[in-house]
Amino acid sequence: MAYKPQYGPGSTIVAANRRKQMDPSHKLEKLRDISDKDIVLMMGHRAPGSAYKTAHPPLAEQQEPNCPIRKLVTPTDGTKAGDRIRYIQFTDSMYNAPCQPYQRSYVESYRFRGMDPGTLSGRQIIECRERDLEKYAKELVNTELFDPALTGIRGCTVHGHSLRLDENGMMFDMLARTQYDKKSNTVKIVKDQVGVPLDTEVKVGKPMDDKWLKAHTTMFHSVAGTAFRDDAEYIEYVQRIHSLRTKYGFMPKE
Amino acid sequence: MTETTFPQCRIVTHRLLNPDTVERLLNKFFNIHGIRRMVLNGPRLPTVIPSGPSKGIPNPHGMRRTITVGNQELTLQVHVGTILLELENRDAIPALKNACDDVFTEFPYRLSEGRYMKTEPTLVDYAKYGPNADKEMLGLADPSSRTGPIILQGTK
Repeated sequence: MAYKPQYGPGSTIVAANRRKQMDPSHKLEKLRDISDKDIVLMMGHRAPGSAYKTAHPPLAEQQEPNCPIRKLVTPTDGTKAGDRIRYIQFTDSMYNAPCQPYQRSYVESYRFRGMDPGTLSGRQIIECRERDLEKYAKELVNTELFDPALTGIRGCTVHGHSLRLDENGMMFDMLARTQYDKKSNTVKIVKDQVGVPLDTEVKVGKPMDDKWLKAHTTMFHSVAGTAFRDDAEYIEYVQRIHSLRTKYGFMPKE
Repeated sequence: MTETTFPQCRIVTHRLLNPDTVERLLNKFFNIHGIRRMVLNGPRLPTVIPSGPSKGIPNPHGMRRTITVGNQELTLQVHVGTILLELENRDAIPALKNACDDVFTEFPYRLSEGRYMKTEPTLVDYAKYGPNADKEMLGLADPSSRTGPIILQGTK
């Protein structure tokens, strides 16, 4: 029988969302339409429309060593062109943000090629070739993995993940990269990910409402959302892994 | 240093407060007798980006605003989320609760009584600020900061 990945344990909506996001056969729901130019603007690595800077000549022009792995692996577009490596980093609020650092790395590893995800406690970074990055970033921002109020695109000064939201429901950001407009109930990005003001602001639309967030979050939260202790299957799984890891040196046998 | 007999309170809100809300709350507190000291706590909002690739560029922030409390102007340096108060006596607590009930209508808050300000300087305080540090400020703010506390002349 062919191997069928299970993606993760759990019987709650949070666990189901985690599996759904990780499963590459599940098409992520598209919620907004941020243009390529705006994605380039908010990352701040190059001016929109300018040429990609390169780290090496295109693969077709340079001599490749006789390597069996290189024959096996098809290079991505960015690699073919010799693009330099750039990054995008996300901060997710623990108040029911649609995605979270560990989940992001799993999602990206299942869905994208040729990138290096890095998980930290309150933020998650992806590094890859610049033109691949723009393609991936567009998917990460335009789909259900992003919420204008609870997800931040932050290259530095990322603090906010574990803080209380402000009165407008926005995650704390010391650099105020996003602005909430109460009248239109929309969020716009006014600075790039390291805090340099943008020439033109990027509108990222309305923050999702509490009901949607509760139904789509991948984060357990005993007060704001679904409590981890409500998911008996998840607890059993985590306890089993913990137990096996602890006993590993003693050659565990089940 | 703080007299141990003075009661202290801490107000923690469910949301970080907008400057307008802080202004409204503090103006209500201004009319309450018996508040000796007050600290507004929360994550800092610097005027200039202090670190990272864009270090040194100005950092305009909607939550850092000058508010007017009584007749004093006060520039917020933090996104207020916690308020510590030292009182003359416990009689002021019901009035504080009323003020909070009036202002925090959209989200909950918690007002608790306890000891929240330092009573003794620590070894680290001594190492950092030396023997002549302002003891009223220890544990609340940086005593070597050039900006002193704001003094609100009450109605007493």
